[in-house]
Amino acid sequence: MVSLLRNQKVRNALLQVLYVGSLAALVLAGIVIARRNLADQGITSGFDFLYKSTGWDVNFSLLPATANDPYWWFFLIGIINTLFLGTIGLMLATLVGTIVGLARTSSNELAQLLGRTYVDIFRNIPLILQVFFWYALITHLPTPRAAHEAFGMLLTSRGLYIPFPNVGGVALALAILAVIAAIALPVWLGRTSRLSQPFGERSAIQLIGAAAALACAVLILIIGRLPDEPFIDFPALQGLNLRGGLRIPPEFSALAIAIAIYGGSYIAEIVRGGFKAVGKGQMEAALSLGLSPWRVFTLVRLPLALRAMLPILANQYVWLMKATTMGIAVGFTDFFMIVALTINHSGQTLEAIGILMAGFLAINLSLAAIFNRINKAIALKGNQLRG
Amino acid sequence: MTSTSSKPGGPAVHIENLDKYYGTFHALRKVSLSVERSERIVVCGPSGSGKSTMIRCINRLEQHNGGKITVLGTELNDDVANIDGIRREVGMVFQHFNLFPHMTVLENLTIAPVIVRKVARAEAEATARRYLEKVRIPEQAMKFPGQLSGGQQQRVAIARALCMQPQIMLFDEPTSALDPEMISEVLDVMVTLASEGMTMICVTHEMGFARRVADRVIFMDGGEIVEEAPPEEFFTASRNERTRQFLSQVLGH
Ligand SMILES: Nc1ncnc2c1ncn2[C@@H]1O[C@H](COP(=O)(O)OP(=O)(O)OP(=O)(O)O)[C@@H](O)[C@H]1O
Ligand SMILES: [Mg+2]
Repeated sequence: MVSLLRNQKVRNALLQVLYVGSLAALVLAGIVIARRNLADQGITSGFDFLYKSTGWDVNFSLLPATANDPYWWFFLIGIINTLFLGTIGLMLATLVGTIVGLARTSSNELAQLLGRTYVDIFRNIPLILQVFFWYALITHLPTPRAAHEAFGMLLTSRGLYIPFPNVGGVALALAILAVIAAIALPVWLGRTSRLSQPFGERSAIQLIGAAAALACAVLILIIGRLPDEPFIDFPALQGLNLRGGLRIPPEFSALAIAIAIYGGSYIAEIVRGGFKAVGKGQMEAALSLGLSPWRVFTLVRLPLALRAMLPILANQYVWLMKATTMGIAVGFTDFFMIVALTINHSGQTLEAIGILMAGFLAINLSLAAIFNRINKAIALKGNQLRG
Repeated sequence: MTSTSSKPGGPAVHIENLDKYYGTFHALRKVSLSVERSERIVVCGPSGSGKSTMIRCINRLEQHNGGKITVLGTELNDDVANIDGIRREVGMVFQHFNLFPHMTVLENLTIAPVIVRKVARAEAEATARRYLEKVRIPEQAMKFPGQLSGGQQQRVAIARALCMQPQIMLFDEPTSALDPEMISEVLDVMVTLASEGMTMICVTHEMGFARRVADRVIFMDGGEIVEEAPPEEFFTASRNERTRQFLSQVLGH
């Protein structure tokens, strides 16, 4: 017996069992206690409430929503809102981060200084303060009657109004898919044609693919336009209010801007690190072959830098996705806020929090899985020599 | 078979009073060197003596601060067209191979001919395969650099430079990152290249190679060319104290 305990494998297994066992016991005890307490207060636990109508409304939804809709529908709306805000925020943050990161790696000293200042400032102000700042700024914009106007867009304290095509929901969804295809197609074409096509023609094929998909999107919109309405709906003042166009509410804008600027400062550092990780040797070899600085950048430096930054970028994305929960601070009905409202109105705290955790787990695990796949697909083959 | 395709137009590389500073550090001091077409030069000298700096100035990986460099009749100055033109005609092989790890061997070999020389893809690939044959690794064309041994990678790097059909080849310690058993496979390729009349400037401490192929051996120390002589004379009859000291170290007495 004693000798068995000295065995390293047996010991490790035993420790594992003890650990998992005590954890399970803890969770189980928690559930039992919670159920008894809830029962004492007359709250029935379980997920039946999901089918009850909420009796309250959301202020932002991409899907149709009324107070008569059941809780599960609202959870879905919350998840879609979170994904929507997250996607827009991450794309903007990536854009900002790329620009600032490139400025930091450039040889121009002014650009370096600006980049460093940006990162130092926005990385060190808590995200929630930045959200409040942008929200306050936007809600102090002029009223609809005194709106700032540019390119048919109207900027007011009630939100940003942008011209929007008058099309049916299905056509809109299809058009969005076509735009996504326009982004994905060049990547896919680049991969499949890499061994059969010259480098110059490869980018031409990619360009044609993207243009075709975009043309498809426009075509879908034109076919799906609503009859008897102008194709593009311009926002305009009617009485005291603005009509027409698409309204982007201040809550959403404030969050998207804050995530873009705050996230951008972190992504800038990742971009900088990625470029620093590219060996000088590869770039010198490319130059010595007579490739122009631009070609060296697009064919050697950027592809290698991307490979270096992608794993860290994936972490950052997962982390920024969770930052969408700041929505509650300004009243944007993201997933977290829907859960909070649910708890308030239905009292189903444990269930709602369970759904919240499961939802975020699913979102972030999918995000991680997608990035893992990309990482694997573009990973450098074989052993790498750091020169 | 030494094909002396010496077209009119003077030496392949002509360096005159070259000065190079890194900040305040004077790395090259009034270096002068003239290399004829089809000439094979071996450059040696202690670490930090400026060997790499000198040959990197020849294709403008380093910018010189004084003096004049003329390559194949074109002066190397701030004119981008001159730099591009010279880089097209001058191939370089590095100590750490510097292959593009995200491209297959074949892509490594064809990318510059296709983009810079505007050679048709099929033709570039045929050329690439011919050079892979020549460096004796035709079967590795579809592999990635990370999947090859050091010696194989360096031979790919040589083939990559040759695919641009350069008139001059620069080697910066091509064998010093290699395990001993791989050195000879790379040197063999270089010897073949020399026998075909390629103009070569090789920074190397492989004295056997220098004896076999060099027309002249250049010894550098402290940013200066201290001695230059044909190999026989250099190895047996050098009267320079620093040269003799260096030789006794690398030849291991
Ligand atoms: N980028 C640089 N910045 C500052 N100093 C440099 C730089 N590159 C080289 N030097 C210095 O210039 C001198 C010559 O360097 P170089 O690399 O040409 O020597 P080398 O003869 O090739 O030596 P090795 O045999 O070690 O490769 C060295 O003292 C080195 O420290
Ligand atoms: Mg060196």
